[in-house]
Amino acid sequence: MENKKKSDSLNDNLKQLAEISAWFSGQKEIDIELGLEKVKIAAELIKTSKEKLNKLENEFKEIEKEFSGDQEQAESI
Amino acid sequence: MLLFLYKRAKCYNADMEFNNLQQNIFETGPITVDQFIKQLNDRIKPVNVKIIGEVSEAKCGPTGHMYFSLKDEKNPAVMSCAIWRSRYNLFGIQLKIGMKIVASGHCEIYAPSGRLSFICDSIELTGEGALKKEYDRLLAKLTAEGLFAPEKKRAIPKFCRRIGIITSKQGAVIHDFLNNIGKFGFQIEFIDSRVEGQLAVGDLLASIRTFKKSQIDVLVIMRGGGSLEAMLAFNNETIVREIAAFPVPVIAGIGHDKDVPLAAMAADVAVSTPTAAANLLTQSWQEIFRALDHYQSTIIGGYKNLLAQADSKLRQHTGILGNFRYILQNIVKSLDIKMAGFMAATKSAITAGASQIEYIEKIIESYNPERQLKLGYSIAKLNGKILKSAKSVKKGAELDIVLSDGIINSQVTGTKLN
Repeated sequence: MENKKKSDSLNDNLKQLAEISAWFSGQKEIDIELGLEKVKIAAELIKTSKEKLNKLENEFKEIEKEFSGDQEQAESI
Repeated sequence: MLLFLYKRAKCYNADMEFNNLQQNIFETGPITVDQFIKQLNDRIKPVNVKIIGEVSEAKCGPTGHMYFSLKDEKNPAVMSCAIWRSRYNLFGIQLKIGMKIVASGHCEIYAPSGRLSFICDSIELTGEGALKKEYDRLLAKLTAEGLFAPEKKRAIPKFCRRIGIITSKQGAVIHDFLNNIGKFGFQIEFIDSRVEGQLAVGDLLASIRTFKKSQIDVLVIMRGGGSLEAMLAFNNETIVREIAAFPVPVIAGIGHDKDVPLAAMAADVAVSTPTAAANLLTQSWQEIFRALDHYQSTIIGGYKNLLAQADSKLRQHTGILGNFRYILQNIVKSLDIKMAGFMAATKSAITAGASQIEYIEKIIESYNPERQLKLGYSIAKLNGKILKSAKSVKKGAELDIVLSDGIINSQVTGTKLN
């Protein structure tokens, strides 16, 4: 069984889950043991992804705009 | 008519200061013209007003500053005005004689000429007709340049984290946005900007340019709905071009009635409410939750299917074994039946054989000469051979009479034939 490196990226997790899901969809020959391995990996990916999503908090910061400065002198009025 | 809109407090303070100035002048004696003009400027420059009038004269100076006169529409009153190049370019209005505008700014006396001028911070067209005409002109111009072309639109990045927001701190827009943005670990950088009227142009431009240097994934510019006049800043050419050329995708959440603000048309995605803008940003994150649920269901479901398939095959094999056992049982049963038949036949044959033997025995027994002898019969032998006829003996011949318990030696004395 291919052991993929554990990733911190939700995107990578989703990609791995999509691959596992596709594996199950395309499974014609029964390989229960391999299937169980994949289920274990998928369960871990789903768990960590959900935990990560639930922990996310927004950061809000108000910043000042920088004025380029229109201090100009009239050459004549 | 010149319309002066004084800020009440400032106006009151200016009046007070002017009275003080008057007193000081008389107390300290004569001052120079330059000093006097400076003192006047110190007092009149802080007073910001908006004046409305018709452009009666307009000329562009060698350095690009614009000098023009505004005359009252009804009364014989004229004000000399100036707007510096950068401000003039910012508002994107080509001043022409006869144009009705509102100018915001302050008065100032130019010392070398002693001329009082109105220095404009902003200028804006007034009247829906003029605004609509300007809107249509700019729309046609920028459309022809391809600024709003669909192929220029960029997709809002998925799972974006750093969001830049430009809107007013006042009002419900920012609150609606924050109430709907959810918790997805966004880093939201917010710049408070005026969004109403022409005075917002400078604010918006500075905000956009500040974010241009910032590391954000997407920029969101928002304001509530309003009239064409209220939307002036969002139909400003400079602003529209800044949005179109912004380095990362821009979402415009600008409410509008009829005419879509040009800023919204230049943005990569335009929505009409802050809630819709927030939803757009959370969409990809919401999809993660849906995707996780989907994968959970398909993977676990897929494995259950595998188990079901395996179970089904197992049952199938068990069925085959069951059939085999049944067949074996049948064979055994059949063998038992055959064996029983065979045994029965054998037994019967044996019994029949035994009867036969017994019968034969009896037959044989019945023919046993010894049995006859015991019954009283005897066997006559002549020269060791059984004598079967009286004719075979002659007188004097010696016969052996065999009895059951011995032999009698005898001699024939005569014969009688039957």
